[in-house]
Amino acid sequence: MDAARHLHNTGEIRGDYLEKVTGQAQFASDVVIPGMLHGRVLRSPLPHARIRSIDVSAALAMPGVVAVLTGADLAELSAGRNSHWGLYLRDRPLVAIDRVRYVGDPVAAVAALDEFTAEEALDAILVDYDPLPHVTDAREAMAPDAPLLHEKMDKIQNFYFRGGTNPVEGTNIFQHYQYAHGDVEAAFSRAHRVFEDSFRFPMVVHAAMEPHVVIADWREDSITLWSGAQSPTTVQKALSLLFGIDMAKIRVITPYVGGGFGGKSSVKIDPLVTALSWKAKRPVRVCLSVSESMLTCRRLSADIELKTAVDAGGKLLGKSVRVVMNGGAYADTGPAVAVKAAIRAIGPYHIPNLKLESYAVYTNTVPGAAFRSIGGPPAVWATESQMDVIADALQIDPVDFRLRNMLDKGGLVKPDLRPIDVDMPGMLRRGLAAMDEAGGNSRASGVAVAASDPGIHALGSALVRMKIDCSVLILTNTIELGQGAHGVLRAVASRVLGQPLARIKVATPDTDLAPYDWVTGASRSTVIMGLAVEEACAEISREVRQLAAELYGGEAAAYVLADGGVAGPNGFTSLLDLMVRANGIDSGEFVGLGRITPRYRNGDFSRMPLFWETAVGVGETEIDVETGEVRLTRYVSVADVGRVMNRKSAEGQDEGAAIQALGHTLYEELVYEDGQPLNASMIDYHVPAIDEAPREFHTVLIESGDGPGPGGARGMGEGAILPMAPVISNSLARQYGVRVRELPLTPERVWRAIREVQRDARRGK
Amino acid sequence: MNDIAVMDVTFTLNNEPASARIEPRELLIDVLRENFGLRGAKRSCDLGVCGACTVLVDGLPVSSCSTLAADVAGRSVLTIEGLGTPQALDPVQQAFIEHGAMQCGFCTPGMVLAVKSLLAAEPSPTEEQVRHYLRGNICRCTGYVKIIEAVMDLAKRGARLKTNP
Repeated sequence: MDAARHLHNTGEIRGDYLEKVTGQAQFASDVVIPGMLHGRVLRSPLPHARIRSIDVSAALAMPGVVAVLTGADLAELSAGRNSHWGLYLRDRPLVAIDRVRYVGDPVAAVAALDEFTAEEALDAILVDYDPLPHVTDAREAMAPDAPLLHEKMDKIQNFYFRGGTNPVEGTNIFQHYQYAHGDVEAAFSRAHRVFEDSFRFPMVVHAAMEPHVVIADWREDSITLWSGAQSPTTVQKALSLLFGIDMAKIRVITPYVGGGFGGKSSVKIDPLVTALSWKAKRPVRVCLSVSESMLTCRRLSADIELKTAVDAGGKLLGKSVRVVMNGGAYADTGPAVAVKAAIRAIGPYHIPNLKLESYAVYTNTVPGAAFRSIGGPPAVWATESQMDVIADALQIDPVDFRLRNMLDKGGLVKPDLRPIDVDMPGMLRRGLAAMDEAGGNSRASGVAVAASDPGIHALGSALVRMKIDCSVLILTNTIELGQGAHGVLRAVASRVLGQPLARIKVATPDTDLAPYDWVTGASRSTVIMGLAVEEACAEISREVRQLAAELYGGEAAAYVLADGGVAGPNGFTSLLDLMVRANGIDSGEFVGLGRITPRYRNGDFSRMPLFWETAVGVGETEIDVETGEVRLTRYVSVADVGRVMNRKSAEGQDEGAAIQALGHTLYEELVYEDGQPLNASMIDYHVPAIDEAPREFHTVLIESGDGPGPGGARGMGEGAILPMAPVISNSLARQYGVRVRELPLTPERVWRAIREVQRDARRGK
Repeated sequence: MNDIAVMDVTFTLNNEPASARIEPRELLIDVLRENFGLRGAKRSCDLGVCGACTVLVDGLPVSSCSTLAADVAGRSVLTIEGLGTPQALDPVQQAFIEHGAMQCGFCTPGMVLAVKSLLAAEPSPTEEQVRHYLRGNICRCTGYVKIIEAVMDLAKRGARLKTNP
C-alpha cells in the first residue's frame, strides 16, 4: 500500500512532514522566478558615521551588474512620501541616506545576474564615512551626554500594535513605560525584609535555519513578493505606504518558512529588496546568510532591577520592577517588548503593591525585535531567580514560598488584565510529581514558573472552500514555519466538515487570495485562525444541511456532514448528488468565511490577554567543578494548553522552546566591543547542539479544555522558553550554593562563582 | 565573466551518471541546486558548521556549501532526493515522520542524510554515539528530543536486525 497515503490518514501526521523529509518542500529560498536577479547588501563597517559620499560607478561598470541602490535614489523612489518606515516610530530609511547607525546597517544594495557578481560588486562600492561617537550599552545611551541616534521621534499610532510608544524627545529613550497599583513605598517601609537584586540578560539572536529571504518583483504599479515573512499583511501595508501603491496591488506569497521565532515578524528586509527591484526594473532575490540575519535583528538585552518586600510569614507585600532594554539602532517592535518585559516580571503571584517601569533605548547595535515571548525570558529569569534568593534568606522551601504567594485560577496578576485562567498551583505540583516519577528529586531540583500575557490582536479571517468531491481548501495568511499551524487548521476543518484529514489542504499563504490575518506569532494561530476556520466550516455545514433539508425533506438539524457528503433521515447523499439536484450540473462549491475580530463573543476578544500562557519548569543539573561547565540532565516542562490539537507537534513546540532557552541560559550572547559585533556568525555564536540537549526531557501537557480556541484550546509554544534560565540558576544555587546573576552561565562565570563560594567557605563565612 | 575557465565534472548523482560544465570555483550546493534542480540541500550558515547543506559523498556526510563541485569528480553523491520518494520512503525518513522529528524542516534533509550515514556505519548506535555523530547538524526548532527518539528507534530496529538477520 501507498506508505505516504497511509501516513497522511493517521490523523496525527502533519501534511508538511512528507514534503520536508523528502526535500520536496518549497521554502521562499527555493523559489525561482524567471529573469530574476540576485541581490547582495553592502553593510556599514562602522557603528555610527555620517556618509560623506558613495561612489558606485566602478560597481556599475562590472559586467553582470544591473543596478545599485543607494540613499541617493530615495528622492525619486519616494516622490514626496516618507522614505522611512517603522512599527512605532518612522525611524528607518529604506537604505542608509546620509548616516549609518550600527555595524551591519544597509548602505547599498546590488542587483546582478548572479550572486558571485553581486558579491564582488560590493567590494567595488566606495563609501566615504565620517565616524561619529557611538554607544552600544543601554545605560550609557541613557546618559545626558550620550551620542544621539535619532534627532526626532516620528511616532506612528495603531500601526501594528494597539496604541503607540512613549519616547523621550532629545534622548535615546524610545519607550518609557510606567505602571503602579497600591503603595509600593509604604510596603517597603513596613516590610519584614526588602530584597534588592539585579540581573542581566544577554543580546541573543533568533538563528532560524533559513535566513531572511525575499524575492521582489516590481512592475508598473504592482508588487509581488515571495517572502519568509511572519506577517505578510503588515509587509503589504508597509510597502503600500512606502511606495504609494494600492494594498490590493501588492501581493505577498509565503511558502514554507524555515523558522522564525519572531525574527521574521512585523517587517524586515522586504522594503529594501522591493526598492532594489524598482531600481533594477527586474525581479530580484535577496537571500541573506545567517551571519547577515544576525545583523538584521535580535532579542532586546536587558538589565532588570527588582526590589521586593516580604512579611515575616513569607508573603509578598510589594514589588518594584525596573527594566532597561537595549533596543538597538531602530525601534522595530521594541516598545512593545519593553512593556511586556515589565509585566512578565510580575509572575503568577498576588502582589498588593506594585510598581513597574521599563525603558527601551537606542544604541549603535543590531535592531532589537520580537523574539519568542517578547520580554518574557529576561523578566522571568530575574523574578524567578529572586524568588529563590528570598526563599533562601527566609529559610523557606522555594516551592512553599511560591505556593504561599501564588494566585489561584481567577486571580488577578494585574487588575487591568483578564484574570489568570489556569490553575498555576496545580501545574506546579504536576511538575514536581513528574520529576519524581521520572526518577529525579523534585526537592533538590531547580524550579521556576511563569505567567505571560500574549500580545494577541484578535484580527484574522479564513476562507474555506468545499468542492463537490468534498475535498476542502483552506485559504489563510497564517504561515507555516514549523509550528504546525496548518496541521491544526486541517484538523479543525476535518472535524467540523466530517471529511478525512487527507482530503483537506491548506493553500500556500497569498495575500491575493487569502483574507487578512494579523501575524503568525504570539501563540495566536490555534485560537484566532483555528476559530476562523471553525466558523468558516460551520457556515458551509449550515448551508449544506439547509440545502439537504430543502431537497430531501426534514429539518436541517437532522442532517450531518459525513465522509463524501451528508447523512440525513433518508440516508446518505453524496455532495455531488446534492449539487446536481440543486443546480442541475455536477459543478460548484461551498464557500465559508470565518472572521475573528476584537468584537467576537460580545467583545470578549478585545480583553487582554485572550488567554494566559503559563509554564512550569523543573530541572536537574550537573556541574563540572573544575571547569565550571554546566549541563542540564533532566527536565520537566508543564503547560496547560487547554486542548492538545496534535500531540507530537505540541510536545515539539514545548521541547524546542525549552532548548532555545537552554541556549540563552548557557551559551548564547552576541558580544560587542568597540562598536563591533565580535561573534555574528554560526562559527562564533553557539546555539545548542544535539549533545547538549538533556538526557531526559518530559513534557506534561494539561488539557483543561477551557481555553478560548477550538475544543477549548489555548495557544502554546512560547511558555516553555520562560522557566529554563531560572530553573538552571536555581538548581546551581540549591546544589552548589552559587548564584550567578548574569546570563549566559558560561563556564568562566560559573567557575568564578564556585571559587568565591569555596573561598568564603575556607574563611568560615 | 567571459574569460573564466570552465571544466566538465563527471560523477554519480543519486545512483545515476551525471556531468556538469562548471567554473572551478563553483560549490557543490550551487551545482546541485542550480544545475540539477535538487533543492533539498539547504544553504543556512554558509560556513560548513550547521549541517543544513549536508549531502553524502561516497556515503560520508559533507557540507555541500563548502565543497567544491570539482572535488566530487568520479565520486558518488547522494542527496535527499535520491534517498527516498514520497512513494518509497527510506526507513530514516519514515522514522522522522512517525516521531514528528522535524518542525520547520530546513535542517531535515541534512539531518536525515547524516543519520543515514551513521546507521550505515553502525546500525545500532548508542545514544551517546548518536549525540556525538549528529553534533554537526543544528536544528533550531525541535530541541532535538524527537530527533533522538527517531534515531534510537531506528537503532533498536538495527539491533534486532543484527540478532535476527
